[in-house]
Parts: sequence; structure tokens; C-alpha cells
Amino acid sequence: MILDANDLPDGTPQEADLCIVGAGAVGIAMALDLLDSGLRVLLLESGGVAPEAGSQALYAGTVADPALHSPLDTYRERRFGGSTTLWGGRSMPFDPIDFEARDYIAHSGWPIAFADLAPYYPRANRIAEAGAYAYRADQAFTRPLAPMIEGFASADLSTDTLERFSCPTDFGRRYRHKLEAAPDFRLLLHANVTGIALAADGGSVDHLQVATLAGRRFPVRARHVVLAAGGLENARLLLASRDVHPAGVGNGEDLVGRYYMCHMAGTIGALRFTRPVWHGYDIADDGTYCRRRIALIPEAQRRLRVGNVIARLHHPRIIDPAHRNGVLSMLYLARMFIPYEYAKRLDGEVRLDLPTQARHLWNVLADMPGTAAFMWHLLRDRRLAERKFPSIIIRSKANLYSLDVHGEQEPNPDSRLTLCGDIDALGMPRLKADWRHTRQDIASIAAMLEVLARDVAASGVGTFTYDPDSVAHEMTRYGAYGGHHIGTTRMAASPRQGVVDAQCTVHGLANLHLAGSSVFPTSGQANPTLTAVALGLRLADHLKTLAARPPVSVSTS
Amino acid sequence: MIRSVLVLGASGFIGRRVLRTLAAADDLIPLAAGRRVAARTEDGIEALRLEDGDTAALSAALARVQAVVDCRAAPPEEMRRGNAALFHAAQAAGRPLVVQLSSMAVYGNAVGRVDETAPLSEEQGPYAAAKLEGERLAAAYGRAVILRPGCVYGPGGTQWSLRIARLLKARRLGDLGAAGDGIANLVHVDDVAQAVAAALRNSLAEGQAFNLAMAGAPTWNDYLMAFAQALGHVPVRRLSARRVRLESKLLAPPLKILEMAAARLGGGAWAPPLIPPSLARLFCQEIRLVSGKSEDLLGQSWMPLDEGLAETAAWCRAQGA
Ligand SMILES: Cc1cc2nc3c(=O)[nH]c(=O)nc-3n(C[C@H](O)[C@H](O)[C@H](O)COP(=O)(O)OP(=O)(O)OC[C@H]3O[C@@H](n4cnc5c(N)ncnc54)[C@H](O)[C@@H]3O)c2cc1C
Repeated sequence: MILDANDLPDGTPQEADLCIVGAGAVGIAMALDLLDSGLRVLLLESGGVAPEAGSQALYAGTVADPALHSPLDTYRERRFGGSTTLWGGRSMPFDPIDFEARDYIAHSGWPIAFADLAPYYPRANRIAEAGAYAYRADQAFTRPLAPMIEGFASADLSTDTLERFSCPTDFGRRYRHKLEAAPDFRLLLHANVTGIALAADGGSVDHLQVATLAGRRFPVRARHVVLAAGGLENARLLLASRDVHPAGVGNGEDLVGRYYMCHMAGTIGALRFTRPVWHGYDIADDGTYCRRRIALIPEAQRRLRVGNVIARLHHPRIIDPAHRNGVLSMLYLARMFIPYEYAKRLDGEVRLDLPTQARHLWNVLADMPGTAAFMWHLLRDRRLAERKFPSIIIRSKANLYSLDVHGEQEPNPDSRLTLCGDIDALGMPRLKADWRHTRQDIASIAAMLEVLARDVAASGVGTFTYDPDSVAHEMTRYGAYGGHHIGTTRMAASPRQGVVDAQCTVHGLANLHLAGSSVFPTSGQANPTLTAVALGLRLADHLKTLAARPPVSVSTS
Repeated sequence: MIRSVLVLGASGFIGRRVLRTLAAADDLIPLAAGRRVAARTEDGIEALRLEDGDTAALSAALARVQAVVDCRAAPPEEMRRGNAALFHAAQAAGRPLVVQLSSMAVYGNAVGRVDETAPLSEEQGPYAAAKLEGERLAAAYGRAVILRPGCVYGPGGTQWSLRIARLLKARRLGDLGAAGDGIANLVHVDDVAQAVAAALRNSLAEGQAFNLAMAGAPTWNDYLMAFAQALGHVPVRRLSARRVRLESKLLAPPLKILEMAAARLGGGAWAPPLIPPSLARLFCQEIRLVSGKSEDLLGQSWMPLDEGLAETAAWCRAQGA
């Protein structure tokens, strides 16, 4: 059943066996998994089904360096469906190496192994509508595929791993009918959790404080509480709940908000091939778009002592009309019609002089048939399609590409979220993000690029040229990769090293659990959502047994 | 102990399989009847040609057997007349046991887990109403077993096999998203035939109703995906909710008229398959038919889906789908 918190009587406590905070990717996936569990589940969502400026404004905060981090009310959506109303849908599992403690990556190592999470990925793929859980070309395709780069051979790089894409599925829209029809389940819209009230001994959650922007306030009592409010907001809720523990909930060791990671990303260099390449999408039997990429294999990462890095063949820089490509010039000229989050990495913020703009216009006019065909493709396969063609793919007649890199960030306690002193419309302290990267983050990418240049040349398939001195600049040109909010309530076996334990339960608080990318101790190369969902499903499984137990009553006669 | 069994609708999709299963059994002797049967079927089973409304011939046939299995498929009005005639004649012909093939449609728009005790409803329209009336007649008659299959698929099946295969081939079905989250309560036609045989042998079945749908039935999306893969009609296409709505609401009615016209002209095979609104509704109906009773009482087991689909796909491909 779906209700509006503004229709509930003011001050009346709401009760449930299990309360999940946040109806984004993770909260909705968990709720779906718990529908048949026999538990009374209450899902609290701040927003409504449509975007609302008032709810979105609750996300605003400050950033230490606007050049390095986008404003906190961008790259996340505070509404039913959460940021899946805006996401790109790239659905990647973590690699086994990402869970390992690696002595060359500070603070690395998860208290669980890949094998602990592996059973949950297939269902995560299913809920995300990212097709089969098959991430190697030979597993995902029975038909032979043309090689990504013909003749390319490398002992350190693989071109056989896949990226798979969700529709991209808006979890709210997709699963609303299931949540509406489910018995024993309530989704409350416009219900903002503003604080976590602990029992007097500080050892468990007593209730959640809930407020609506229209002025309703009521407590929610549940035997178990899951925060699934997103990678930044989970930390904010813990930090802002200071009535029993002055440093915030679960923050006895000053870890909440620290180790904040996104990903390192940027476009660099020129790849010129003399052999055929296929850098576009292949469609799997289940209809999902898949794309191969260049990945630094685990053995090479260990030998080179670097983090996990992948790269894709990309079109030349859009902003420079020298590419003489009508489609790219059109994208540049149309950038104001593209949402901020997607325009940013199209150089949308750079202003060009008039002659350069004119050259872009000329490119469009000179390449009219190509541009028109591309427009038609965009309309049919992206705009009108429910499973959308995931990105812009330009076949280069000159067989010339740039390299789009996506790399792991090393956990760094000084990269952190804190409360900034301001409060939002509901009286909750706002966040400040001070995102940082480490030398290792850049070194990992630099090492990968070096290997690629070497092996492209050695296999005689072309050349990869780039300026090694520009790596740091290119990888931070647009700052932290937006939308990936990782590590702020990290998982560790010991309360001294982490906020939650291996089951995602807050250390020292048996009935408070965290779900989402905030619990990842490391960031890997993968986009976070699929893993956040898988981890949420694992937590849901755990809660089915945990919450099913009758509450322990201690008799003192 | 029942030995001789009259199979009505013996040349139809389900009737043929029932006939074959009964003929293969040592303890049962089938007698085939239908509108399109010769004096003997190709397997050498004795057969009677039975025209609709020929009550005398029906009575005569019934007088020769201890049980009758009604596998006739017909539009609602014809079904009503057929049922009335059958029970009337059976009453007069020594009251043989009647095994009746009803349908999950009698559960209406129910969702969730549905067993045989669930309330029955006519809300799904004339077909469901006619099936329900048949069940009432069976109850009044007293000596009947009611089987309520879900979607019967298998080689020779038009509705849940060939029609779906054609739509998959034309990419007019595929991944339906939220519109395909309903449960495809599939049952292989051989499993239905097994259930019939078990119902004839087990005296405890008399007076009971049994759901028939494979355990762990897939969602429609999963069924369509698996079937498309078996047929080789991949990659499947994601069809937008908009498109499914458009097809079932706007396109289906004129196509239905075309189909009826084609049937009248003796053709029909060339008419495009369609997705009527009732089918679109079924695709999202999250009803899970619970068939534990047939497993317990009739010893029912289920053909694994991949096996059933492989065989079905081979047949559909041979039909050009
Ligand atoms: C432009 C963009 C592109 C992206 N592309 C990809 C991609 O390709 N692949 C990938 O893996 N990831 C991608 N992401 C990231 C992805 O969107 C997130 O990882 C994912 O949505 C996180 O899911 P979540 O449920 O943890 O959080 P969210 O989806 O953010 O959901 C959190 C929910 O909690 C609610 N909420 C917040 N605070 C409160 C409160 N106090 N009380 C009640 N409710 C609250 C919010 O309204 C929201 O509905 C992208 C993100 C953006 C912005």
C-alpha cells in the first residue's frame, strides 16, 4: 500500500517490524525482497512520485572545493525511486580482488569476500533489469563477437569483460504496482527522517523522528531499522542524530563521513588503430546492451601494485571542432538541452568564442546526412525506447578514439563529509563534502595507461599517445565522478575500523542497519548500484531470520 | 475400477494427448469421439464421429463407458450447450464419472497464492462464466472430477504456444517490463493428460477440483524470454507499456474482426495473431496457482520448463513460427 505521510494524523506513532528509510534503488529492492517475508515493513520516502523542489532542496549542502565536487543537491534525486530517476544504468559487479586487503591500497579489504555477495548478484541484475549475471563476452553471448580490437594481445589487459546496462530502470516507476498491491507493506511518501532517537543506554534505536514539509511530525517505532537513504544521506543521518552520543550515532571512533570516495574518471590521449575495432554495444539475447572495455587484470594490478582501472574507447573531445564530426558538434551546440549531470562531462561548462562555435555549426551542416541519421537513432533507440541505447557511440572514419578511464579510489580518512553548521527546512544540519584523492589514485591510472600504450604498440595494432604529465589534470578536470557516493559508513569487522559489521549492522546498535554504497570499504572500478543492491538483498535475507524472532523479553521475577 | 473411457474432443490439442496417454495405459481403454474423427484414429483407437447436438449418439457412446473426459474446446455459448447436453445424457446413461477440464479463469482477477478453496468468479467474462456454469453442473451431477489447468502449452497448442511463438517472432511480444510481471501458470499438455489418467484411477478424486500448474511457474517475462530463446527469436525486444496498451486496446479489436472474417472464409492461418486486452491483463496478473493438491492426491509431477519448451519450440518452428 502507498500512503502520503501528510494524510496521517499528526503525532500518531507508526509501527512496523521493519522500517526502511529511503525508496531508492536499495530501499525498493529490499522492500521487494521482503514482501513475502511475513514481516510488516514500512518504507519511508522523503519525496513524492514526481520531482518536488522542496524535497530536493533538503539535499543542498556545501562543498569544500566547487571545482572538485558538484553541489550536493545535484547528482542525486530526493524522490520516490531516488537517483534511479536519473541514473545511467551501467550495472557492474565488483571484482573478487576488490574485496581483498591489498598492502599497496591503504585501508583496503572487506570483512566479507566476493563469494559472500556472489549469490545475490543475479537477483540484483534482475531487479535492475540488467539482464543475465554474465560479465564475460563468452558467457553472455553464444554467438561469436567480433574482437574489440582486432589483433590486440596483452598479458595485463583484458578486452573480454563486459559492461551491462539497465534500461535504465527507474525503480520507483518499475515496481510501484508491486508496492501498491502488497499486503503487510506500507510506503509513506513525503516522510522525512530527521533523526534517529536511541534508547537511553545508547545501545539500540528507540524510534525515528519523521517530519513532512507540510508540518506533520510523528515517531516511527520498528524492531529493526535500515537506513537506505543514499551514500551521502546515510552518513548525514548518523552524524545529525546527537541526542545520546554527542558525535552522532555509530560514530564513537570518528569514522562516520570519512573515507569518502567517488571514482577517478576522465578522458585522455589519442588511440589510432590500423586494425578494425568494435567499441559499440552488442545486444544480449535478453535484450540488454553490453559493451566491452579494457580492464587491467587482477594479476597485473598486484604486480604493478595499483588499484582497479578500466577504460573504454571514446569519441574525440567534443569541444574541439577539429574532430569535424557533425554529431559531436551538434551535441556541443545542444548542450543546454542536456541535463546538468550529463552535460558536465561533455565540456558543457566551457564557453567557446564565436568563430569556434561557427566551426561547430559548420561541422553539423557539412555532415547533414550523418547528423540526421544520428538524430533518428537517438529518437528511436533512446528517446522513445524503454530500453535505451546507453550512450553516444560515434564510429570514427579515421579509426581514432580517445580513452575514457574509470578508476578506483583509495580509501582516505581525510576525504570526508561533515555537518556544515547550516540547517535545512526541517531543522536538520546540512552536509559539507570535502572530497580528496590520493597519489595512488593517479598512479594506478598512469600505470594502466603505460601498459596500454606499450601493448597497443607491441601488438602492432596502432598507437596510443598521451601526455603522462597530464594524467592528474585530466582525471580531475571535472572533479569527483558524480553520483557515486562511497565509503562514508564503511564496513569492518572491528568497530575501531568501521561503522557497520559484516552484516551491515551498526557496531554496538543491534537493530540499526545500513544499506547502500556508504558501507563499501573500497570503491573498485565498478559503478556502485548493482553491488549496493546485492548487499541490500543480503541484508534483507539476514533480517528475515533476525526480525522473525520474537522480541526477547527478560523476566525479572 | 474404471476401464472404458470416452474422450470428447479427441482430435483437439488436449484431447489427442489424453487419448494417447490413456491408450498407452494397460488398465484403461479409451473410445475417441469428436467432430473430426474417423472410425479409427491413426493409432488404431476406436473412434466415433459426434456432431454437436446429436444427443442420441452422445447417449449411446456414454452407455458404453464408465467414465468420460470432456476435452472439447468451444466458444462460451457452444460450451454451455455442450455441457448441458453432456450432463443430461450422462444422467440418463448410467451416470459415468465425468472428468471436466475447467480453467483457472474461474478464479477471476485474484492475485497471490490461489488454491482450490479460493472464491470463484465470473468477472473475467463469458468464457469464465461458461466454465463456471460447467463446474456448477458437474457439482449438481455429483460424479465428477474438475481439473483447473493454467495455461496449457506444448506441441499442437495454439493459444499458449503457436500464437505466442508468432508474436515473439514478429517481436510484438518480448520483455514487457511491469506489464509482464504476472505469473504464467503453465502446464504442459502431457501433464494434463497424466492428471486425467490419475483422476480416472483414483476414486478419492471424485467430487474434487484440482489446480494444474507447474510448480515454480515463471513470470510471463521469464516465460517469453525462455520461449524466445528456445525458438531462436532473440534478442528479445523490450516493449514499452505504451506499446502493449496500444496494441491490446487499439489494434486488437480491428484485428479480431479480420481474424473472424478470415475464419469465415475458411482461412485463418494468415490472420495476424493479436494481443487482446484479456491477454494483456493476464500478463500482469500476479496469480500463483497452487497445485499441491494434485501432487498429493494424484501424484502429479511436472515437465521441466526447458524440456517442455524445447519440444514446443521445435513444433512451432515447423509451423513457420
Ligand atoms: C547522473 C547519474 C548517473 C548515474 N549512473 C549510474 C550508473 O550508470 N551505474 C551505477 O551503478 N550507478 C549510477 N548512478 C548512481 C545511482 O543512481 C546510485 O548509486 C543509486 O541510486 C543509489 O541507490 P540508493 O538506494 O542507495 O540511493 P538513492 O537512489 O539516492 O535513494 C535514496 C532515497 O532515500 C530518500 N531519502 C533521502 N534522505 C531521506 C530521509 N532523511 N528520509 C526519508 N527518505 C530519504 C531519497 O529521497 C531517495 O529516494 C548514477 C547517479 C547519477 C546521479
